[in-house]
Amino acid sequence: MSPPAAGAASSGEAPPRELYTIPASSGWFRWDEIHETERRALPEFFGGAGGSGFGTASRNPRIYREYRDYIISKYREDPSRRLTFTEVRKALVGDVTLLRKLFAFLDASGLINFSASPSRPAPQKKPDAEAILEAPVGLQVTPRPPASYFVEERGGGGGENGFRLPPLTSYSDVFGEWAPGRGPICGFCGEECSDGSVQTLKDGFKVCSNCYANDESTGEANKHLGDKKERADNHASSAWSDAETLVLLEGVLKHGDDWDLISQHVRTKNRSECIARLIQLPFGEHMLGTINGKSDSKLHKNQTTERKVDKYIVKESSSQPTETVDGMQIDENKNDTDKSNEERPTKHRRLFSSIDPTVSLMEKLVLLTTSSSPDVVAAAADAAIKALGNENPLARKAFHLSEKEYRTRAFSSICARQGDGIVGGQDAEMLGHSVPGNKKGKMFISTTYQVRAAVATALGVAAARAKMLANQEEREMELLMASIIETQLRKIQYKIKHFEELELIMDQEYATIQQIKASLVNEWLQVLKQAFEAGVPIPRDEVLMQLFQNKPTL
Amino acid sequence: MKTVSLGANRPSAVKFRMPTRDNLVPIRVDVEVDGQRYRDAFTWNPSDPDSEIISFAKRTAKDLKLPANFVPQMLHSIQGQLAEFRSYEGEEMQIREKIVPLKIDLRINNTVIRDQFLWDIGNLDSDPEEFARTLCDDLNITDPEVGPAIAVSIREQLYEIASQSVSAMREARVSKKGRRAPEFASNSKAMHNSLDLFKYFGSKGSVVRKRKEWYLYEPVVDVARKEEVGAIDATEELSSRNA
Repeated sequence: MSPPAAGAASSGEAPPRELYTIPASSGWFRWDEIHETERRALPEFFGGAGGSGFGTASRNPRIYREYRDYIISKYREDPSRRLTFTEVRKALVGDVTLLRKLFAFLDASGLINFSASPSRPAPQKKPDAEAILEAPVGLQVTPRPPASYFVEERGGGGGENGFRLPPLTSYSDVFGEWAPGRGPICGFCGEECSDGSVQTLKDGFKVCSNCYANDESTGEANKHLGDKKERADNHASSAWSDAETLVLLEGVLKHGDDWDLISQHVRTKNRSECIARLIQLPFGEHMLGTINGKSDSKLHKNQTTERKVDKYIVKESSSQPTETVDGMQIDENKNDTDKSNEERPTKHRRLFSSIDPTVSLMEKLVLLTTSSSPDVVAAAADAAIKALGNENPLARKAFHLSEKEYRTRAFSSICARQGDGIVGGQDAEMLGHSVPGNKKGKMFISTTYQVRAAVATALGVAAARAKMLANQEEREMELLMASIIETQLRKIQYKIKHFEELELIMDQEYATIQQIKASLVNEWLQVLKQAFEAGVPIPRDEVLMQLFQNKPTL
Repeated sequence: MKTVSLGANRPSAVKFRMPTRDNLVPIRVDVEVDGQRYRDAFTWNPSDPDSEIISFAKRTAKDLKLPANFVPQMLHSIQGQLAEFRSYEGEEMQIREKIVPLKIDLRINNTVIRDQFLWDIGNLDSDPEEFARTLCDDLNITDPEVGPAIAVSIREQLYEIASQSVSAMREARVSKKGRRAPEFASNSKAMHNSLDLFKYFGSKGSVVRKRKEWYLYEPVVDVARKEEVGAIDATEELSSRNA
């Protein structure tokens, strides 16, 4: 009844092979084993409170396995629809209370109903693996603003008058219209606040007095943010109508990860808008996660919150550029380390982030760097800068390296800084500030070279990561092949054993039959003898004759 | 080959109580006064003080706008059922794992529900209310009265089983048949349709039912239209009067 084990927790076996995405929290589950979690949660099947015995006739591990496997297989027949207890209990024999408990356990631990859309109308307590319907009030998950929002560039910031960088710069992306020397930007309406009209909300966000007043009157920070989102959306293109949203969802379900196809499906919106819209939807992140092989969007939310946090940090520190650079970068490094330690993004995620051309290079770089350790990034940045330095001696100046430093390569911290540059553009700014008196020409060179360095770093990091993934894939494939072969072998062994047993039994039976035959013949002999002695006429019995005649040959 | 022993089917004796998590008694009231009829079914906590019964009866009569002469009859009915429950309370009863089929066949307002399922009367952690709630949620039944009615029906059946086992024990003790008799007596007299465990739980059986049998254990819900409801009401009334 249970499908053959495949080892990996992320695939279930059903011809043709399908990939089931299950929440990471239930990765302990195996088809051919009963895990400690299960034993602890349902001790009735395992002999009482200790959970380690063998139970009774109607509650034992074998029965438990049958129930569990049936329910999970039933759910996996159609993972998108919610499996109800009533559906399964009609097919299972046993106490409904116990079955209910088992069902609730499977539901809560994410083994069933993990990608079913929540369909209960009444408010119910949902298991943690399901979609979070709205962000908590203190946290503002801002979606990536659509492409056109980035289009208003200011050429790399106010420090470089007259020079326009190609739209790859991240500086303008991050700050929008902000430039040093201007007032802080209101977090809500994105406009510059006139001096003195800055208010601080309780979570430290700076808003202009207009927005503050609005905010007070409506009394809901989220609502205003929603307005801003909508305005940004409207600014980009027409607002999303219900029909469009529906088509978008259809497209997502059909095409999964392929944003080109989805944007084709939704004819009136381009891909970045589709993505932005999907994220805005209450369970959009959830769907993305489902598609990408992770049903919790921790990574994504982390990314967006990190970006927002960085924006905030940067805004705060804008008034003291030099001093806080280090602090900020150290924060950056820590963020990246944390992230790289706690999660392994899947391949799908990588694909998604690198295809999108509207995302700035720096942001892509950040996404990539989060996937590997800072050391790798530093090494890549090292190599990139060195190569660039070899290309053009000016570059060395641009990187403010003395000859000695360059040779000894003792600048990994600088490289890390530059490599990690979500504020790579701001790097240019900061370095520009910290070396007052540099001519514009030099700053121009430094920026381009830094950009190029960043690009090279990105490539290096991406290459390293790809190699790692390829190795991993290979190993996984080998493992799977080995397990398949092993399973087949075991199957054959069982069959052989079975047949041997049968043979043994047959031999025994044969011997018994022989004995019985012999004794029968003897009995006949006796009967005949007595009949003969008694003088009873014996009819000639053909069968018996044959028996006697055949006897020696038996 | 292997034999399965129904090892832990050892009965243990506990004081009489409802074999559910909450010891609540099902009460059914059917009172008729001056052509007006009050029928109701609910669960009662036997450890509530008796003064509660009076206030409950009075409040119910007031809420349903029944004349005051309903109250004494309601009181009498409720108290009688509670007294019967309490009379069992001193006894001991055998608790062993025993899976019996329970049936639901109810009409509440304009919802008709029929269902059958297996219940372990030895599972003292069972909860009819939760079962009823799950059932209504899964079947998307919106009428809020259906769930409690199902729960009460389950409780009634469980109560009947429990009280039967107690009275069987009582009889056996009275007739001095010795210790083994109660087990046999309760085996034969109490749930005659207790489940043949071996067939399903034995080593050759499977606890997954055959597909063709699923319809037997599946709930069937009908939502009758208004006219039909009126007709059903009338027929029920007639039959209960004649009975």
